[in-house]
Amino acid sequence: MYEQDLYEHADVINELLARYGVKFGIYKNNVFKEQLFPFDAIPRIIPGDEFAELEKGLKQRVTALNLFLKDIYGKKQIVRDKVVPEEFVYASSGYLTECEGVTPVKDIYSHISGIDLVQAKNGEWYVLEDNLRVPSGASYPMIARKLCRRSSPDTFRNVRLEDNRNYAELLRRTMDHVNVGGHTVILTPGRYNAAYFEHSYLAECTGAHLVNGSELIVENDKLYYLDSNGNKERVGAVYRRISDEYLDPMTFNPESVIGISHIFDVYRKGNVALLNAPGNGIADDKGIYYFVPKMVEYYLNEEPILHNAPTYLPFYENDMKYVLEHFDQLVLKDVAEAGGYGVVFGSSMTKEQKESFIALLKAEPRRFIAQEVIDFKDLDIMDEGKRVPRKADLRAFVLMADEPLVWKSGLTRFSRNPESFIVNSSQGGGFKDTWVLSR
Amino acid sequence: MKNLRFRYEMQLQFDAPVKDHHFTLKCMPKSNERQTIRNMTELVHPSHSISRAEDSFGNLCIYGYTDEPHTLFEVVVEGEAVTGRAAWETAEDDCHLGRYRYATVYTKPGDKLKEYYQQHLAGSGTGTDLERSIALMHDLYRDFSYVQGVTTVNTTAEEALAGGRGVCQDYAHIMIALCRMAGIPARYVVGMLIGEGQSHAWVEIYDDGRWYGLDPTNDLIVDDQHIRISVGRDCYDCRINQGSFRGIPVCQTQTIRVFVEEMEEIKW
Repeated sequence: MYEQDLYEHADVINELLARYGVKFGIYKNNVFKEQLFPFDAIPRIIPGDEFAELEKGLKQRVTALNLFLKDIYGKKQIVRDKVVPEEFVYASSGYLTECEGVTPVKDIYSHISGIDLVQAKNGEWYVLEDNLRVPSGASYPMIARKLCRRSSPDTFRNVRLEDNRNYAELLRRTMDHVNVGGHTVILTPGRYNAAYFEHSYLAECTGAHLVNGSELIVENDKLYYLDSNGNKERVGAVYRRISDEYLDPMTFNPESVIGISHIFDVYRKGNVALLNAPGNGIADDKGIYYFVPKMVEYYLNEEPILHNAPTYLPFYENDMKYVLEHFDQLVLKDVAEAGGYGVVFGSSMTKEQKESFIALLKAEPRRFIAQEVIDFKDLDIMDEGKRVPRKADLRAFVLMADEPLVWKSGLTRFSRNPESFIVNSSQGGGFKDTWVLSR
Repeated sequence: MKNLRFRYEMQLQFDAPVKDHHFTLKCMPKSNERQTIRNMTELVHPSHSISRAEDSFGNLCIYGYTDEPHTLFEVVVEGEAVTGRAAWETAEDDCHLGRYRYATVYTKPGDKLKEYYQQHLAGSGTGTDLERSIALMHDLYRDFSYVQGVTTVNTTAEEALAGGRGVCQDYAHIMIALCRMAGIPARYVVGMLIGEGQSHAWVEIYDDGRWYGLDPTNDLIVDDQHIRISVGRDCYDCRINQGSFRGIPVCQTQTIRVFVEEMEEIKW
């Protein structure tokens, strides 16, 4: 069977991944530590028909999220019509007032979206999170597939699956679609960033220049790349892998040393495309997440194809009541946190913790969401030669070019700890390739 | 109505040369319903390239860059203003009101603000939002003392109120925080006041489609003595000068001088 063949090579592949620098850097207690991002050779397999349905749902969801962003930084019709309460917008740290009235090239806000899904035991898929700022992770299954194909060529001759090595083409098409004239660059904060491998790999695969902030300069409302000879070349699109906050010290955090002064002004004048658009954080706010299915209905007048995990907003009185009555069966999330932080299970709290949490919840209801704990369908991983089941999710990538494009693969992350539901790589999880079978 | 001549000067003095200096300046008034600005000139020295834009609040910005090493960076904006053309400004589309309703870093209420709110605003449910705001301004003027040097540019409304003393920025932040707690949209204003001195800060509050200017530092309803430069949610949105540069200056000193005087005759 092909699985045998794949995991026989797993150690070699992990060694190669380590050599390529497929690592995860994390800060723990202010110390930077690099960890390997362990690869598990058993792929997640999604039948072609099932993925086709996901694909429809993903396109629909990201299309609605783009319309939401355009609306929020413009007329705010969805707030006026009381579909989304005003305070969920303005109290969110993801809302950037500096982006009011700024229109990105071709009205595209979320060029690259990472939608995190889980599959329940009954086969139903649920969206857990939308990532519209700088979602990372596509490079890991890309390179893993490449290495697996090399080590197990027969497997890939015999199984009919979608080739996922086209991610670079999709990304290039997405960047070219909004390029206003000039080079396309990938802006990295540098090699100490957790996703530096990805930045360099995507640059290599797409043919874009990999640059850091000091190699870009703004002059006369245009952005230029400084090559090693000191020549200035116009830049038309920046796939920036640094967060909004650090992008431009003149507009955002003045302490930023990795950003580019006045790049936001160039963007505002339409003289460069930024992928993704600044201000997208409002759309992937955990509080706003609750409203995404309503956005699909509101903007597209369609039934949402993908479902959220059942979610309650303690902000609403009825939901608060439900949350207090069913506290032990819910998972509570702090909307301001990311990366698996600020997530607590009602059932795992002591009496005192629970009391103090409920007091906080009542004082700041807008700060939390509560969700039913989904009975995940576990995926097998190899652990010291044995197959063991573990919790896993799927980050699907949706790219917005002249039309929404769904990458027929995705990053499957799993928790190595059998007790844990949290699969984030910053919490020490591993990854798998995601196979979408040909239809 | 008054016919005013204004001059805004800012100097940044470095004790060692800096270069690759990027700057964004928001120190130019703009015409609106209340004021007409004419014959405005700007001088920025040194500068290699200069651009103009409006920020998301509609404030005028000039920004640019110079690579020339320098120890002095100088800005002079001069012009004429007709002020007091109207008692209020008609609010833009109300979809932009939301951002003036919620607390920011500078205006986040703590115990002191909550206590003050309970004593002065909670019971004043009658009257228009403008009337309630004016009453609040009188209270604040009485209860808070103008003292320079006890607060900094980073002092929050809560901290300033706890100390009981401060400058125009503190008056404005406290008043904005309290108005927002009462559900009255309020915004921060930077501008110039007739006479000679520093730039000034005051407040605009929203009532029924109109923005009214209130100056809690002077207990004044804004009429024709003020020239507005910029508006925002708090002082951060209205920062006059934002810069970055390379060099190793140990210290930089910013000097701002503002002159506003009445012109003898109407020339236009």
